[in-house]
Amino acid sequence: MGVSWSNNNRRRRRSTYFHPHPHPPHLPPPYYYPPPLLPPPAPPPQGYFITSSNPSASTSAATGYVGPPAQYYPNVYTANSVMLHQQPLYANEGGNDIHLSPPPYVDHQTTKKIRNDVNLHKHTLHLCIDPNNPDHHLISFDFDALFDGSITIFYLAKEEENCRFNPLFPDLFEPITFPFQKGAGQKFCQPSGTGIDLGFFELDDLSRPSPGEDVFPLVICAETNSISVLDASPHMQITQAVLEKSNGVGPFQVKVVRQILWIDDVRYELRELYGIGSSATADFDDNGKECVICMTEPKDTAVLPCRHMCMCSECAKALRFQSNKCPICRQPIEELIEIKINVGNQ
Amino acid sequence: MANSNLPRRIIKETQRLLSEPAPGISASPSEDNMRYFNVMILGPTQSPYEGGVFKLELFLPEEYPMAAPKVRFLTKIYHPNIDKLGRICLDILKDKWSPALQIRTVLLSIQALLSAPNPDDPLSENIAKHWKSNEAEAVETAKEWTRLYASDA
Repeated sequence: MGVSWSNNNRRRRRSTYFHPHPHPPHLPPPYYYPPPLLPPPAPPPQGYFITSSNPSASTSAATGYVGPPAQYYPNVYTANSVMLHQQPLYANEGGNDIHLSPPPYVDHQTTKKIRNDVNLHKHTLHLCIDPNNPDHHLISFDFDALFDGSITIFYLAKEEENCRFNPLFPDLFEPITFPFQKGAGQKFCQPSGTGIDLGFFELDDLSRPSPGEDVFPLVICAETNSISVLDASPHMQITQAVLEKSNGVGPFQVKVVRQILWIDDVRYELRELYGIGSSATADFDDNGKECVICMTEPKDTAVLPCRHMCMCSECAKALRFQSNKCPICRQPIEELIEIKINVGNQ
Repeated sequence: MANSNLPRRIIKETQRLLSEPAPGISASPSEDNMRYFNVMILGPTQSPYEGGVFKLELFLPEEYPMAAPKVRFLTKIYHPNIDKLGRICLDILKDKWSPALQIRTVLLSIQALLSAPNPDDPLSENIAKHWKSNEAEAVETAKEWTRLYASDA
């Protein structure tokens, strides 16, 4: 099962905290969707989306997301800060300095689910050379779809209003659309002869988004057909990626920077949470699922903006009165979000 | 005594410390106070403390894990960041404490501090001065103190 959730710390109208977001924000977006906790990989998307095959590992640098790795722990080996030489027997006696500054108000919100009709598995997105035309590159990836629909590939495309995309250089590559049928665990392979000659582009232009992040070198738009004729608004999942070469040589590697959902005229960004799944790389004395504070209850609360899912809700509430720093990375806490993983709320 | 209502976290940490001790570190709770630990840290290899066995006491205050454990060397040690009362200058025991840290990580950090004395941020001014003015001699003194005070014999 999967859940998704959103929040917006500037607007506190609970009933409407799914806000339309017509333009790509420049700062960390207010919408986050964790991948499902239970066995996500391929088979049937039960009304859900985001089937990242390895949610915890996927937070690595390969995703291009900012933020510390999933199992980052505070710098326990950094020694020595200045301290006062006073009488107490213990150097840290009276060390209640973390209590001194009152924590800022933080929202403690619960999550809301939305359904995604089509999901491109971002870790499966690859670019390969057309065997019949060595100058051209083809796209391949795995995806799930609840309904029939189509996939459109854009290069160097700018995001416009209402989640529409326009290529900057349509002469070099006209966006190309392929229909698909519903089904889980499908593989998309772009047919030979429909690829792009990337030789026309500068490597620098391909390896990063525009400064405003509204132009991405590779944009894949997966769209499902409306369920009914009355429902005129399409469901889309957009995957924005850059194309890199390690040290400027070798084959292109696709790095997904962002995924966007466009559902009922609302734009959501998909973000992963660090530590939501149990991790094979968990610390030896930490099985990864317990709250790092009580080490007893399962984690169900994430810290924003750093996205460390590391606490149970009770400890998160207690922490609010003690500290305003994330227990994992010490970044200031702006919000705490409770994520009910197994309960079918809303 | 203080053992009633011991938080489950402390019980778990204690069990894990006993069942999977970190290399060169042992920590066992006192029988009459489960918040008080007797700790032993072996001097790290290739440090002036190599061969020494250092005793420490560690106490988990009521607020733990929201507040850091209180830790102190009981064995005399010549180290710029540890004073003559055994108090330790370590950021994670003060302002850099995080409730995600544990007894184990604290002790590993102290072990690391033995490997990497930092005379630029001293607790013992005299030892730090010694360390900066004549490191070789200071290291010799630390070795000597290890032999004198931290030998298990």
